[in-house]
Parts: sequence; C-alpha cells; structure tokens
Amino acid sequence: MRKSICVIDDDVIYQKIIKKLIDQSTVFGKAYFYTRAKEALSDLAEIQTEFPSVILLDINMPIMDGWQCLDYLETLFPELYEIADVYIVSSSIAFSDKEKIKEYPGVSGFLSKPMKVEMLKRIGKRLK
Amino acid sequence: MALRTENSFNSRVKRKPLFIGFCTFILLFLVGSFILWQRYQILLDDRQSEMEAIIDVAEQNIDQSLKYSYSAALSLALQINEKGKIENFDELAPQLVDKNPNIDAVQIVPDGIITKVYPFEENKEAINYNILEDSTRNEEAFKAIQRKRMFFAGPLELKQGGLAIIGRLPVFKKNQFWGFVAVLIDFDNLIDQTGLRDLAGDQYKFQFSKINPVTNREEFFLNGTQEPDESYSEKLILPDGDWKIYIIPVDPYKPFYTIIPVAIMILVISGAISWIVFNSLKQPAKLQELVREQAGELAKSELHFRTIFNQAAIGMVRVDSKSGMILEPNKKFQDILEYSEEELKLKDYKVISHPDDLSENTALMQKLSRDEIREYSLEKRLKKKDGSLIWVRINVSPLWEVGEEVSSHIALVEDISARVMAKQKLIDNENRFRSLVENSNEIILIVDDKNKVNYYSPSLSKISKYEEIDFAANGVLHYIHPDDQQILRSKVEDAYVQPNVPLSDIILRVKDAEDNWFWANVTLTNMLNVNNVKGFVVNLRDITGKKEAEMNLVKSYELVMEQNKRLLNFAYIVSHNLRSHSSNLSSVLELYEAEDSEEEKNSYVQLLNKISKNLDQSLHDLNEVVSINTNIDIKTESLNVSNFLNQALEILSLQIKSSYAKIINEVPHEMEVLFNAAYLESVLLNFLTNALRYSDPVRSPVIKLSGYKEDGHWVLEVKDNGIGIDLDKHGSKIFGLYKTFSERKDSRGVGLFITKNQINAMGGTVKIESEPGIGTTFKVTFK
Repeated sequence: MRKSICVIDDDVIYQKIIKKLIDQSTVFGKAYFYTRAKEALSDLAEIQTEFPSVILLDINMPIMDGWQCLDYLETLFPELYEIADVYIVSSSIAFSDKEKIKEYPGVSGFLSKPMKVEMLKRIGKRLK
Repeated sequence: MALRTENSFNSRVKRKPLFIGFCTFILLFLVGSFILWQRYQILLDDRQSEMEAIIDVAEQNIDQSLKYSYSAALSLALQINEKGKIENFDELAPQLVDKNPNIDAVQIVPDGIITKVYPFEENKEAINYNILEDSTRNEEAFKAIQRKRMFFAGPLELKQGGLAIIGRLPVFKKNQFWGFVAVLIDFDNLIDQTGLRDLAGDQYKFQFSKINPVTNREEFFLNGTQEPDESYSEKLILPDGDWKIYIIPVDPYKPFYTIIPVAIMILVISGAISWIVFNSLKQPAKLQELVREQAGELAKSELHFRTIFNQAAIGMVRVDSKSGMILEPNKKFQDILEYSEEELKLKDYKVISHPDDLSENTALMQKLSRDEIREYSLEKRLKKKDGSLIWVRINVSPLWEVGEEVSSHIALVEDISARVMAKQKLIDNENRFRSLVENSNEIILIVDDKNKVNYYSPSLSKISKYEEIDFAANGVLHYIHPDDQQILRSKVEDAYVQPNVPLSDIILRVKDAEDNWFWANVTLTNMLNVNNVKGFVVNLRDITGKKEAEMNLVKSYELVMEQNKRLLNFAYIVSHNLRSHSSNLSSVLELYEAEDSEEEKNSYVQLLNKISKNLDQSLHDLNEVVSINTNIDIKTESLNVSNFLNQALEILSLQIKSSYAKIINEVPHEMEVLFNAAYLESVLLNFLTNALRYSDPVRSPVIKLSGYKEDGHWVLEVKDNGIGIDLDKHGSKIFGLYKTFSERKDSRGVGLFITKNQINAMGGTVKIESEPGIGTTFKVTFK
C-alpha cells in the first residue's frame, strides 16, 4: 500500500504545484493539503488511523507558523517521529531557520523550494 | 679623709653609749654594794649587840646562881664550930638545897675528905673521897685554898655520877685550913639557870669552856658546837671558875644571806638602769646614723639628679627668676643652642629669645613670680649661637614653694623645630588639598552613619545648587532617582562590608535644588573607622553632559543596530518572498513543459499569470518599504492632523458607509505635528483601513480617534472594537513584514510594517494594545 502524505503551506500556487508533483511521483497514495496549520492539526487529530507517513511543513505562514505547528504536532502526537517523516519545506535561506531545526531532532530534514519529483520519490522510498 | 672622719665618728657614736652604760652599771653597782656593805655591817653590829645583851643577861644569871651557892656554902661554913665540927648539918642542908633550886647538893669536906653530903642518897658514893689526893682534881682545890675564897671547879664527872660544877669554899679555923664546904650545881641545872637557852632561841647556840688546870687546854662541854670562831662569837669570862661562855649564831652567815637578794636586786637594777641609759644614749646615735644615711641618700639622689640633669635628652636650664640670668644649663641645652656652658651662664634668657615671643613669655613669668600659676609651658623661638632660630617648647617650674621668696626656676627645653616644620608642612598640604577639594568640580561630602553631612565642598552649590545639604531629615534616597536607588542601596551595603575601599563609578541620577535630575558618577568610600573622617566620603561628579552624549550614542547605536536588524530581516524577507515566487515560477514552467494536455497547459499559464501578479505586488511593496528606509532627506513640515484625518475619512467614506462603521473623531484642531504629508496620509489610511477590515462580524465597528499631549509630545490614538489580536503570541511580530495574523486572503503583512517604518522615519513611535474579541488601539507618539 502506498503511503500517505500531508502538505501544510499557505501558498496557494505552491499547493497546486505540489499536488501535481505528488501525482507525478506516484509513490504516495492518499494526500492531504492544508493552507492553514490550524486546519491541518484538527484534521490530523481526527484521521489518526490513517496518519500520513510524510508531512511537508512550511515555515512562513500567517496566524500559526511552521514551528508553532510543529510544537503542536509533537504534543498532540507523542509518537510523531515514529509514525511519520516530518520535513521542513521553505524557500527561506535564512540561517536562523536552519539553526532552529536543530531544536527538533526528530525532524527528518530541511527541503528547499522549488520541490522536484525526484525529491518526493526519494522521500517516498525512505518511508518508515 | 672624709671616710676616716666618718669612721671615727661612727665608732665613737657606737662605743659611747656602751661605755657610759658600763660606767653607769659599775657606779650603780658600787654605790649599791657600799650601801649593802653598810647594811651588812649594821646587821653584824645588831647581832653582836644582841649577843652581848644575851651574854650580859647570862652573866647576871650565872652570877646570881653562884652568889646563891656562895651564900649557901657560907651558911654551912658558919655552922662549923670551934672544934671543927658541924653542928646541925642535917637540919640546915635540906633547907639550903631544897629551898634553893640553884643548888643541887652540899658537901662538907674537912681536910679534903668528903664526910657529909646532902642529899645523901644520890651522893653517898662520894663519902670519904679525898679530893686533895686526886691529882686530876686537886689543882682547883688547891687554887681555892690558895686564893682563900670560893672557887668553882668543873664541870667534872662526879664520883657518884653526872656532870656538875663544884663550888669549894675553903674554911679556915684560926688561920688553919680546916677543909671545904662544897656546893654542887648540876651542869644542866646551871645552864638552865643562866637562861641561855631561852635567850639564844633559834638564832644562837652557846658553848661552855674551861681551861683544864692539868692540861692547860680549853675544854668544851656542850655537844654539837664546834670551837667557836672568835670573829663572830661573844664570850663571857667567869673568873670564879675560869669559865668562858660563848654565844654563837646558829647560822653565822645569815646576815650575808639576807643581803644576797638585795645584792641581786641591786645588780639587776643597775643592770636595767645602765641598759636604759645605754639605749637612751644609743637613740640619738641611731637618729644620727639615720640622718647620716639620709644625708648619704640625699647626696646620692643629688648625684642622680645632677646626672639626669646633665645627661638628659631634653634641654634643662636653671634660671634666676628675678634677673632672668641663666644659672645652670645642661649639656643638651648647650647642644640645642650650640653655646658652651660658660657662654650661656650669666646670659639673660631674654637675649636668646625671639623678640616676638617675649611679651607672652614675660607675662607668664610674672604670673609664676606672683604664685598665680605653678608652671607654664610655651612654644617659642630661641636664637642659636649662629643667629638661626629654632622652635622650642619650654616647660617652666619654679624652684620655690608658694609664699617663699622668688628664687630660680627650671625650664625644660625641647627642640620642636622639626615638629613645627612638619606641622607647617601639614598645614600647607592641608591648604593645598583643601584648595584642590574646594576648587574641584566634584562635590565632596563626608556623611556619617546617621546621615549627617559633616562636610560638603563649595562645589555643592555650583553643581547641585543646594546652598547646604543634610540627609538626616529626608534620607539620602530622597535625592536619588527611584530607578537608581537600588544601585546606591547595594553599594552602601558593599561599602559597609569593605571599609576604606573606594567604590567608584556608581552612576546615579541626582535631584538638584530645582528638582531637575542630573547624572552623577559617584565614588563612595567607607571611612567610618578612620579617626579624622568617621564617615562615608562621597565624591560626586556631574556627568550629565557625558551621560547625555553617551545616551545619544547608545540611542544612535541602537538605531543603527535596529536598522541593521531591519535590513537583515528585510533582506531575508525579500529573499524568501522573491524565492517563493521564483520557485513557483520554475516549478510551474517545469510542469508546463512536461504537460501534454492543452487544457492543463492553459491552467499553468493562468498560474504563471497569477505568480507574475504576486511578484509585481511584492516588488511594489518592497519598493515602498525601500523608499521609506532610504529616503533620508524626505521633506517634513508642520501638519494639521485633523485636516489630514478628514481627508482620509473622505477617501474611505464608501467603505465606512458599507460597513456601518461609527467614527468618533476627537482629534483637536490645534494638533500640529512635524511630519511628511504623504506619510501622514498613508499612516492614517492604513490605521483606518485595518480598523475597518478587521472588524468583528458580530458588532458594528466603532472607531475612535483622539489626540492629546503627553510629556510634551502629541499622541494620536486609533481605537477600534475589532477582532483584536493575541499580543502574547504575536506581539513581537505585529509590525513585521509579511506577518499576517488573520484568515483574510487580502492580508499581505505589509501595511503595519510600512506604517511603523514611516512613523519611525519621522522620529515617532507606535505602540499597540489589543485583546482578541475586544478591539485594538494604536498609539502614535509624534516627535
């Protein structure tokens, strides 16, 4: 069975792009897309049995940014890193963001936009 | 020489009482002995007289007794008749014998032959005894015949026994010896009759002796008595019988014994008296000895004092109090003045004194002379031999007692030039330091632990404008800015723990007399335990100018840092923003190329169009931001806020109407601020747009605008009752670029960023107060 993926990013255009890329990668089954972190959190809490294997999380979002969202995820799902690979995805090249990722040792990696099909495939293979 | 005189004096003094005592003893003893001797002689004479008296009585008694015998014998003899016969012997004899106790028996002895005897019984053995034929006895019989008178023979042992004396009276008939009439007296009876025993008593013994006619030797008849010593016995010679009666003292040495206690007494008394004499003579000698010793001590201490005087490390000089002439200067005094003793002697002390000090000195000297004071001390100058001056301290004491005539005084002279010079130096230094302190730009205070200000330097009024200061009433903290009080408190505590350590660079705001704060750099030193200070030394330097410069520097530094940070942030944001567009662009293009479907391709072109628009918007925003941040020389002018506000409300009148918003405009007409016109328009529009845009759907929006002055600056307040924002979560990012906090799609996160930058560029500040569900207030403080 193909793994599921969840994308949390406020950029509507990016959402459209990543949707296409996920389709093209063919490694993922079910895919969830959220432009607001809050919505993602409440949804994920509901679909626990089909928790996504991969989470792609944007940093720069209004109301709740990526880091805050990650804090919530960690508290809501204590076994988060065992059941899912969490990637931080950003167009940011800020040093501070790359530093901050060290505070979250469970995070699988930092991915720089633009995303490529190959990246998604590689992520899909490394699935837990 | 002196020693010898002393010695002989000594020995004489010592010997004399002994000698006189001894002489006294001898003299007293001699006198006593002489008196005693006299007494002894009197005693002896008394005894002799007594013995003589006794003997006299004895003699009379014996004489009596013998007379009786004689008369008895004569009575018998007369009874002899012519024929030579005795007629009535037997009648007469008993009469004679019995009547007369002195006679023990009578005998008739014709021709020496005892024919008759009475009492017969006791004497019958003597009958017919011829005494003239007995050679041992006839001598005395013949003596009686020869002398033709009665003669007593014996005492002799009788033929019939017993010791008796026999008185024989020769009887002559016609001148022819007829015979004897004899009377016998018992010897004991005779002695009794003499009364010797009674007379002698216990004191005397007696002895009876007779020269033996045959042997011619003296025979003694009483037992127990030795041959009497002529020297102290008395004797009685009885010629009728050639007897001697001796009286002998029982104790011949009794008078001598009697005087022995007296002699001892005399010895003791003379001894005692001579002892007393000796001692009483010795007393002055002792006193003399004492005087001599003390004189020695005196001489010794005089020597001591002279030595001290001469060797003293302090100058001493004896001066004639009347004339002022120097009498005796000691070595040190000479050294001090460098004069020799001869030069100093008979120099008036006034000559070597500095004229300026003389009046004080003579005044004191007069007081001393009048006994008003008993000493004085004075610091004065003396002239040395070379004319140079030295400072001395003199202590003067008179050498006369109160009431006595003024004689001389002694002055102790101490060279205090060094001290005076040091003191002068100290005063100079003190003056120098004082002038340093008093002319310094620092306020210097000495504050004790009771907050009493013991010293403040003149710069106090110059810097703080207080004419005088004391913390006792209000406490120190009253003068210190509330924000700085804790610093001072802790420093004072530190100072208590570290005495004498200057705690410097304590930066405080201090209130001056006109209630203005000035910055001070304070150094605090705890010198409570330093005798002359006994307080905290506070050095206070006004650093307001420096502090302000520093603060300005800090402010500009902070501004630069802030701008730097903002630039960094800006660069980051811009890069992020632009990169997200560019990454989207490249992704879409990639997808477009790979896509075969025309329909899909068309949708990608639309996406590209959208991206292009977004990019354009971003660049527009960035341009606006950059223009605010780079345009330093932007024109500012005094603008009427009220007018600008009305213009903005005019522009937004449609939106206000459609959202049913209520606008309360309380901005005063006189509110004029220095601002750029375009910026002010932008700022006002932004606040109003935000207030309208983020209104709470459950209530109609109310926007209140007010303007007032605060701390001399104009403040514009824009208060709404909108959805509000959780400042605890987003407070730090509220004015950040691209920070959006609402679900609204048209929030770009640019408006507040630009507004804040515009206000800051005009030297103002903006603050936000907000509560979700209640509303938000923006507060703009103009320069």
